[in-house]
Amino acid sequence: MTELILQALYSGLLQGGSYALIALGLALVFGAMKVINLAHGELVLLSAYIAYTVESGLGWNPIFAIPIALVVVCLASVMVYFVVSRIKKDREINSLILTYGIGVILTNVILLIWKADARSTGSSWMQEAFVIGPLYSMRSEVLFFAVSLVLMGGLWWWLSRSWYGRAVRAVSSNRDAAKLMGINPGYTELVAFVVAGILAAFAGVALFSYGVISPAYGNVLTVKAFIITVLAGIGSIPGVLIGAVLLGVAEALTVTLASSALQELAGMGLFLLVLFIMPNGLFGAKGRRG
Amino acid sequence: MNLNKTIIATLLAVYIAVPLAFGSDNYVMSLVVASMVIGGIALSWALLGNLGGMVSFGHSAFFGVGAYTSAVLSMKFGIPVFVAMLLGGAGAVVASLTMMPVLRLRGPYFALAILAYAHIFRILATEWTSVTGGSGGLSNVPRLPEIMGYDFSSKTGGYLVILTIVLVFAAIYQYIRRSHYGLALRAMHESEDATRVVGVNSTLLKGLMLLVSAFMCGVVGAFNAHYINFLEPDYAFSGLWVTIPIVAAIFGGYRTITGPIVGAVVVYLIDQLIFKNIMPSGHQLVLGVLLVAMIVFSPEGLLSLVRKFTRRNHVAT
Repeated sequence: MTELILQALYSGLLQGGSYALIALGLALVFGAMKVINLAHGELVLLSAYIAYTVESGLGWNPIFAIPIALVVVCLASVMVYFVVSRIKKDREINSLILTYGIGVILTNVILLIWKADARSTGSSWMQEAFVIGPLYSMRSEVLFFAVSLVLMGGLWWWLSRSWYGRAVRAVSSNRDAAKLMGINPGYTELVAFVVAGILAAFAGVALFSYGVISPAYGNVLTVKAFIITVLAGIGSIPGVLIGAVLLGVAEALTVTLASSALQELAGMGLFLLVLFIMPNGLFGAKGRRG
Repeated sequence: MNLNKTIIATLLAVYIAVPLAFGSDNYVMSLVVASMVIGGIALSWALLGNLGGMVSFGHSAFFGVGAYTSAVLSMKFGIPVFVAMLLGGAGAVVASLTMMPVLRLRGPYFALAILAYAHIFRILATEWTSVTGGSGGLSNVPRLPEIMGYDFSSKTGGYLVILTIVLVFAAIYQYIRRSHYGLALRAMHESEDATRVVGVNSTLLKGLMLLVSAFMCGVVGAFNAHYINFLEPDYAFSGLWVTIPIVAAIFGGYRTITGPIVGAVVVYLIDQLIFKNIMPSGHQLVLGVLLVAMIVFSPEGLLSLVRKFTRRNHVAT
């Protein structure tokens, strides 16, 4: 039993890596533009399906899909930005409905191109066992966990050291003051969308490499990313990583101890618990309460 | 006086002319009934959005809970169908009570939280097999009954029932909008903080709107269950029950009362009669495009777009 639980903790930890990438993309765009991109999960899914096409069509390892996915998903993300920036009034409500509509479009485009069947990788290189002591995982899980750690480190460096990263943070904390300091908020928002697209592209290829994807999964991913940002509170990268790992672990434990059908309920339970006990998230952020 | 005449004429038309014209054609009639179901959901969605200022992506939860409550009550406890339908609305209200903690969250967080809730209820309906029949669903949900010699289980009967439900809800909506609550809610739309300062309990009011909206959506869901006599989780909690009503409400103008209903009839009929034939799978793509286009070009609905153009013709700018 202990072994099973340990194994679940380990799998949850690995799963948390790509969850964190998705949640960071959502949080970054929300920070810069105060817009929740409800199509974010669909962007991730788009990348996952590109990986599928590269594998099944060209017979390559899904990793080689990353460059293509980067280009396509970033372009899609930029398109989302341009449509959202055309909203004139009631941005809060209208941007939600708008990105929801974009999500519907993307889901159906995916449905038209790749059909409704569930897909998973056939690459034996990816599925090769990777054993550390008593803990088992697929090679792809460990690989992409490492990749997501590197990406998060890069994101941290970018946000705290580079000019554009600091501009994104400046716009997030005070748009008008940032404007007075000579930062162009529109351009900064665009940069935030591009970075979110980059994170989504990696997360999508990761999801395909060790999981099962289907057209309806995008919506689920958006919800998961949202739950993580509620757990973490917006504004800290380590917080998001911990929130993502918590969600991954809660899901893995539910699958191990109860049933895989209840997997989604685990995240929701965690979400409600935090909402009741710590409405500002585990790592404090203000401004969420009404 | 003139307005009253228009209303009476419209009522006569929808109650008598529509059944007389299409009553013999089962296909057209079933499309009309389905579009009215969408109209009912769109109305409840728009009430929450317009009065409560909340965007919900979780109305499929209310729809499904209402449907299951009514179906189970009438099947297992033999409760008359029309009573069970009202209880289905009550069931949706109970479901919405569990969403109350989410009201602590502001705008975008609320929308996402309610989206997450919709997933919970679908999973519950699938897993709670002893009551809901699990993913196999419930067949033989009781039909709409025969009252005073008139059989409401026919297509035309179903049409009269759903039409009445939607019209009653529209009247309730109008009543709320004109009441003191409506005034406070409109003020909240301008500035929630300022409204709280003058002593309005804004969270309570928003909560009430959520309850009313859930009740309406639940009754519509219950009607639909008895009308098609069949239920399964993936159908009852389908995302379609969110997408089409939102498109309809935005298309018709979600700040009006007639907008969502008219929008539902137009959008649903166009979708079913035209786009479903052109592309059998993925025709929701068109709905997504329509939604995006409406928000970008005319978020207040098609009517306001028309008005804008006509005004431009009359008044030189």
